[in-house]
Amino acid sequence: MATSFVYYLQEFLRLEWMQKFLFAKTAPLVTPPYFRDYPELTGKTCTHHLFCMMACPAPGAIDVVKVPTGWQPRIHVGHCIRCGLCVEACPNGVLNSGRVLESMFYDNTRLVFTFRIDVDHDRCMGCGNCAVACPVNKVIDAEMGHGGHASTDGLLLIVREGKSKVLHLEKCTGCKTCEEHCPTEAIRVARLLEAVQGPEVEEA
Amino acid sequence: MRVEDVVCTFCGCLCDDLVIETDGKKIVGVENGCTLANEKFMGDHRLKSPIRREGDRWSEVSLNDAIREAAEILLDADRPLLYGWSGTHGEAQSVGVHLAEILGGVIDNTSTVCHGPSIMAIQEVGHPGCTLGQVKNRADVVLYWGANPIEAHPRHLSRYTTYADGFFVKNSFRERKLVVVDVRETESAALADEFVRIEPGGDYAVLSALRAIVRGRGEVITGPVAGVSREQLVRVADLCMKAKFGAIFFGLGLTMSPGKNKNIRNAIELTEELNRHTKFTISPMRGHWNVYGSNEVFCWITGYPYAVDFARGIAFYNPGETTSVDILRREECDACLVVASDPGAHFPRACAEHLARIPTIQIDPHVNATTHLCRLQIPVAVTGIDAEGTAYRMDGVPIRTRKLFDGDHPSDTEILERIYAIVKEAKGA
Repeated sequence: MATSFVYYLQEFLRLEWMQKFLFAKTAPLVTPPYFRDYPELTGKTCTHHLFCMMACPAPGAIDVVKVPTGWQPRIHVGHCIRCGLCVEACPNGVLNSGRVLESMFYDNTRLVFTFRIDVDHDRCMGCGNCAVACPVNKVIDAEMGHGGHASTDGLLLIVREGKSKVLHLEKCTGCKTCEEHCPTEAIRVARLLEAVQGPEVEEA
Repeated sequence: MRVEDVVCTFCGCLCDDLVIETDGKKIVGVENGCTLANEKFMGDHRLKSPIRREGDRWSEVSLNDAIREAAEILLDADRPLLYGWSGTHGEAQSVGVHLAEILGGVIDNTSTVCHGPSIMAIQEVGHPGCTLGQVKNRADVVLYWGANPIEAHPRHLSRYTTYADGFFVKNSFRERKLVVVDVRETESAALADEFVRIEPGGDYAVLSALRAIVRGRGEVITGPVAGVSREQLVRVADLCMKAKFGAIFFGLGLTMSPGKNKNIRNAIELTEELNRHTKFTISPMRGHWNVYGSNEVFCWITGYPYAVDFARGIAFYNPGETTSVDILRREECDACLVVASDPGAHFPRACAEHLARIPTIQIDPHVNATTHLCRLQIPVAVTGIDAEGTAYRMDGVPIRTRKLFDGDHPSDTEILERIYAIVKEAKGA
């Protein structure tokens, strides 16, 4: 017992080891410029498109809450994996992290959301829950929100020939309210996230 | 031609906001209607002319001959049964009641096999109901008990309850709670905030348990009731008591399960208990588009809502004795006139067999299961498409159905009036 203790002391009390331990020469602990921390607010106005939430791959990492001045994204640090997709997906540059916004500007790249709605006609009962619950429809035509009567052709969703029908897909905001309130799982919304490069006009 | 605000004559919702595109005597487009409405309007399976059974074949007969034969069959009968009426307009139902009176027969409508028990319960304890407009504008808690509106009344949720924005409920489904009570997880249950799954036949016990909790006697419930945990019962009762305005809708899951009218009585009394805390209403989910109308019409002419027997010369009502199924089961009636319904598809086998034995006449636009039991079928115009008349929505609101074009067939009223005229002449009344 006593012998092993002496060996132990001999090992650690060597001058060479103590110098290395106490005066170690390591790289300075500075954050590199390309490091992406948790996204931070830039102060720009959030337009409540919720693209940040849609792009986020980590469950529960971001939500958009109402504050006295409007809407504002909120990061939950315990869940955030710092991938920066929310920063890229935001159409207004509300969030920033590292050099994401900067490189997007120099490379002229963006993440673009498009939506696709598929209706399974074999399952659809034409109950109209989707068209009545749809927040886009409610803004376009209050009558639709008050019980399913379409008074204009400008609606996103409508019940025609006894089945739900998509009229103006370009108006879809990808909220999935229709999908959540379909009792027969007949309506499905796909959110397509694409990385594009180049000015918007060229793409159009 | 585009016709706005068309009334759909399929289910008890009686949606009156359809847009129909017609091309001459053909319907080419339906907007705003559910898939059931679409089939109703677009379906093209009408019987072309009256048919009479001859041996094992059908032969076409003229309308005049068919009407005369129908009248003769009814005149020859000692105890004719006039059944159906829920799929036609009020005016025709009214002629039907007068025909039953002059014949001394029995007149019964389809509520005999659907919401008859509800009516019996309402006769016992009353009906704390309201119109669907009230539910739409006020209800923040909606219960469906033993009903699957998504399949039977597809637009009920989107037009009148959960999904419709109301005057006092601006944010529809976000402000409303939906409770579904059923023995199986139906499509409607998929939308529910609270799905209560009860064991078959356990409705009465669950209703009694909820009544006890609402009354403040929750301690008498010690364990699960008919498969529903005590916690869930308390949760549902609390949800109902905290509501600003609640609405219960019940379907055949409650009326036709063990307990029958006593289930409904218990449900109405639960509503009464809840009204000590908040405003609550209860309404039946009526099936046929004008079954409520047939109850109304029968009531205001005879005093009774269904199963009215004129054999004594005055109206007599005794469910269990004068109801169609019992009369057919006892092989009591010797002729049957079926109007606008399909007992062949819905009655017990023994009753259908008796219908096949006796001379049965059917007045209906389509070939259905009853066609195979009857001797004579007279096709008529479909109310809401090529005939018009008054109908009653499931909440008792009368709505005038519209005629979209002049069809090739006479309406139910016309046929029945002609039969009535012949019977009246023969009776010398």
